[in-house]
Amino acid sequence: MTTPTTTVPIPPVGAVEHTTCCEYCPVACGYRVYTWPLGTSGGMTAAENALGRDLPLGPLAGGWISENMHTVVEVGGERQNCVVLPDPDADVVNVAGSHSVRGGALAQKLFRVDGPTADRLLTPQLRVNGNLVPIPWDTALDLVARLSLTTIERYGELAWGMKCYSYEFLENTYAATKLALASIGTPNYSPHHAPAEGDDVPGLSDAGIDAFSAAFVDDRAAEVLFIAGSDPYETKSVRFTDWQVAGGAKIVYVDPRRTFTADYAERGGGLHLQLRPGTDTCLYNALVLLILENGWEDREFVESLATRAELDAESKWRRVEYGRTRDELLGYLRSDADFTPEGAEKVSGVPASKIRQAAELLSGGAGPQPLTSVLFEKGVYWTHNYENTAAIANLGIVLGASGREGRATSRMGGHQRGGQKAASYPLDKSPHSVDGHPVEMDTERWLVEGNTRFRWVVGTNWISAMAGTGNLRRRVHELTHMGPQVTSTDPATALAQLTARMDAGGMVLVHQEIYANESTAFADIVLPAATWGEEDFTRANAERRLRLYQGFMDAPGESRPDWQIFAEVGQRMGFDGFDWADSNAVFEESAKRSSGSRKDYSALVELAQAQGRRAHDFLGDLGTTGLQAPLRIEGGELIETVRLHEDLRFKSGSGKANFVMPDWSRVRDRNEVLSPRTDKGEVWVLNGRVNALWNNLSDFSRRPLAAERWPMNPLEVNPADALDWGLEAGDLVSVECDDVLDQIGGTGPGGFTAVVYPTDIVPRGVTYTYFLFPGSAANNVTPADTSLQPLSLRYPFKLGRGRLRRLGVSGAVAGMSFASRNRAPGGVTDHDHATDHDQ
Amino acid sequence: MSLTRREFVFLGAAGGAAAAAGVILPVGLSWDRDEDGEVTALVLQYPEVVVGSYLELEIGTPSTFEYPAPGQPNVLARLGMPAEHGIGPEEDLVAFSSLCTHMGCPVTEFQSDEGVLGPCPCHFTSFDLAHDGQPAIGQATQRLPRVLLRLDGDEIVATGLRRHVYGYADNLQGVGVELLQSS
Repeated sequence: MTTPTTTVPIPPVGAVEHTTCCEYCPVACGYRVYTWPLGTSGGMTAAENALGRDLPLGPLAGGWISENMHTVVEVGGERQNCVVLPDPDADVVNVAGSHSVRGGALAQKLFRVDGPTADRLLTPQLRVNGNLVPIPWDTALDLVARLSLTTIERYGELAWGMKCYSYEFLENTYAATKLALASIGTPNYSPHHAPAEGDDVPGLSDAGIDAFSAAFVDDRAAEVLFIAGSDPYETKSVRFTDWQVAGGAKIVYVDPRRTFTADYAERGGGLHLQLRPGTDTCLYNALVLLILENGWEDREFVESLATRAELDAESKWRRVEYGRTRDELLGYLRSDADFTPEGAEKVSGVPASKIRQAAELLSGGAGPQPLTSVLFEKGVYWTHNYENTAAIANLGIVLGASGREGRATSRMGGHQRGGQKAASYPLDKSPHSVDGHPVEMDTERWLVEGNTRFRWVVGTNWISAMAGTGNLRRRVHELTHMGPQVTSTDPATALAQLTARMDAGGMVLVHQEIYANESTAFADIVLPAATWGEEDFTRANAERRLRLYQGFMDAPGESRPDWQIFAEVGQRMGFDGFDWADSNAVFEESAKRSSGSRKDYSALVELAQAQGRRAHDFLGDLGTTGLQAPLRIEGGELIETVRLHEDLRFKSGSGKANFVMPDWSRVRDRNEVLSPRTDKGEVWVLNGRVNALWNNLSDFSRRPLAAERWPMNPLEVNPADALDWGLEAGDLVSVECDDVLDQIGGTGPGGFTAVVYPTDIVPRGVTYTYFLFPGSAANNVTPADTSLQPLSLRYPFKLGRGRLRRLGVSGAVAGMSFASRNRAPGGVTDHDHATDHDQ
Repeated sequence: MSLTRREFVFLGAAGGAAAAAGVILPVGLSWDRDEDGEVTALVLQYPEVVVGSYLELEIGTPSTFEYPAPGQPNVLARLGMPAEHGIGPEEDLVAFSSLCTHMGCPVTEFQSDEGVLGPCPCHFTSFDLAHDGQPAIGQATQRLPRVLLRLDGDEIVATGLRRHVYGYADNLQGVGVELLQSS
């Protein structure tokens, strides 16, 4: 038997080259894309290939093309080789071609007529007699425009709703909001990740600190990193390996799970604070109190904070009410015994000794103050939103972690930053308020109450992505089956029938997507979108670095970029200003609205126009390096901003930062409502990301490597719990809760199924699952009642609960590894088999 | 003599006439024949190399070998548990390239309790050798290349590779050249 060699095509000299960035996590590594005719390949020497590199390559050389970096795409109607390669010449972000498993296999995302991505949405569709059937674009766009006009005319603009990704490129979000917020002026608009527009980290904002103030160089410069509610190895991989690890900082890691990052932190002289779910506010309060009581704070910085008089003069009511001076905060922290190390141990499960060590490590104790940064993400703010973000802001402030190299308090980001609104949110039209102050509309509540007659969902598996999925799904089914169904492709008949449904109290659903997903099952009209690689787009990453994501291949079928779909509907509705020639025109127009924001790119467009150039071309010339915003022009030169608050001026009326009330009693009360009920046999059902997957798996369920690794939704169960509950690796379990809090203050049953992955990542009494696995979304057991958090209307997505029921052995997981995923280099230690506490 | 792969294949094609005469080729080379058995080209194939002794290989203590060319490191292990594509009486004998398929760092740490190679010292990918080199966690974009094995009595023989070795566009780049040079 002979075995032929294994080869991957190499781009030859003369291959067409583009630059782009990764589609997925907020790090946004730079990539080079090569396309060239089938049947040809470059040679092994630098002179013979487009990489300009001699093969074979040595370790860490960058430029190696793995099997999953190559595919075949259509360019100008012709099938071509395509390689999507981590940019080996990158000098920022992913220097020298580093990459994650997500971005590294971007080629597998691309539409391929003979591959797993062949099921992209290719034509507009209308549901006729229960089936989605292809219709022409003209018919689809006319229907959407006419139904929109009818909705607004008969029921007002509050009945017209849009649920849209917040991040999928500046051009698209600008066009979407120009239609929804500027032209229609509805408050019934919300992002993919929340039931309402508004601030995700209100506590941090009320402290005056920008959520994306840090730069990756700060991670490398820091001597101590406080990382909470995010596992950077799994979710922002290159930021972790190439900036945080590379800088050698000691890591204080806060997570109920003992993840890879936790193990890495402790092996490197840092700490893992393995807190009980929902106890962050108490733990951070204890750290702040220890630091203040010992005089370990950055005194100069703390002395520069706003006074009570300055706080009272603020125009934002929340800051007046919840802003705190040092003395006010100290008074509060001293008033509750839960904030002593021993009290916090009782609440959080983190040993008092570890809390003391952490306070000393972060602040330097009696010694010199280290460069400390405070970084966090959704584990912090998608639990107890306001209080946790307030408490972590306070920690950043006592450490003086702001505006200086290696010293930042910042989100690490969930998505890249691709949102640019064309108009302000019409808060005055919102039907919802708190303490007499208007707040953004809770669009899911509004919909479940039956007030939304028309909803346009853009680029999200909406129903599974919102908390209380089970109830939302039941209600959407009711609303879309109320009154007539469409029985003919005749546009007039369809319009009349869908209008009659709205008149009967029902709802019409439009879904604009790249693939059908669970939400498409309820759609009346489907609009196929073109996406990454199929159009020129721009976006910023988590360090505000703006780059052009070049289109390099044909969009499949009749799909169109989202901005163009919004433009077509806007024009058909009779609105002005939707006649953009291309995505660059949208980008240039949007620049004005970016002015003063953290990703202010108005100077870029101004300079490009002064030079008679397209702004996209100007940015495209800067390749994967791009520009770090906010940008300004000085002496005819474009000046970038590495980090925010470098002048130690903050986002407040006084320009000063301030502490914020971290109200633990509110959290305690909320935990009473949200915690697992042992009498019902419930456990925590936490959720989040897994590094080889992304979002709703629209790309990843179609990638062989990812689909083989994760053929089904995993549920991490502590091995001791698994033993007690009679569960083994690969068992299929049902995770159920009888009374999930729904969108309108009621309850209903919810559940999903998953395969058991026994692991000591989770302590006893805590399980963890992927947050948005197709067909088994964790949100079936997460609470959707925003009255629990009226200040910010954010769901405590991370705090699900349920009981487990074994269904049998799953046959679908034969090739799936159940190996440990939390062992850092250095061999197995006692830590690998022990946790600080059992929940 | 230094040859690129392209030049080498060209040489091979030119040598077609010699093939019919029954020339014995060095290991790593073979004649590509059409349906009628006529030689059409000289092609590269994986050499067959003895890489270890089954009796001497202890469970949980891997050995290493270079294959298919010198300088290409691999790990040979009895995992002590049945492995996907494992051979031997216990179906636990496997071999894989030990160059991380993320960025090519040699992975040397082995977790014998789980049959896992890793984490890689550079970016921490761990590979489950019992599950055909599947990345258990990490940044590698493909499974580890698996070395095809055969047992000849006690001798463990490598016969080829599945998947693409880090650093190479062609797993056998240079292999034939070196063999040709030594023949």
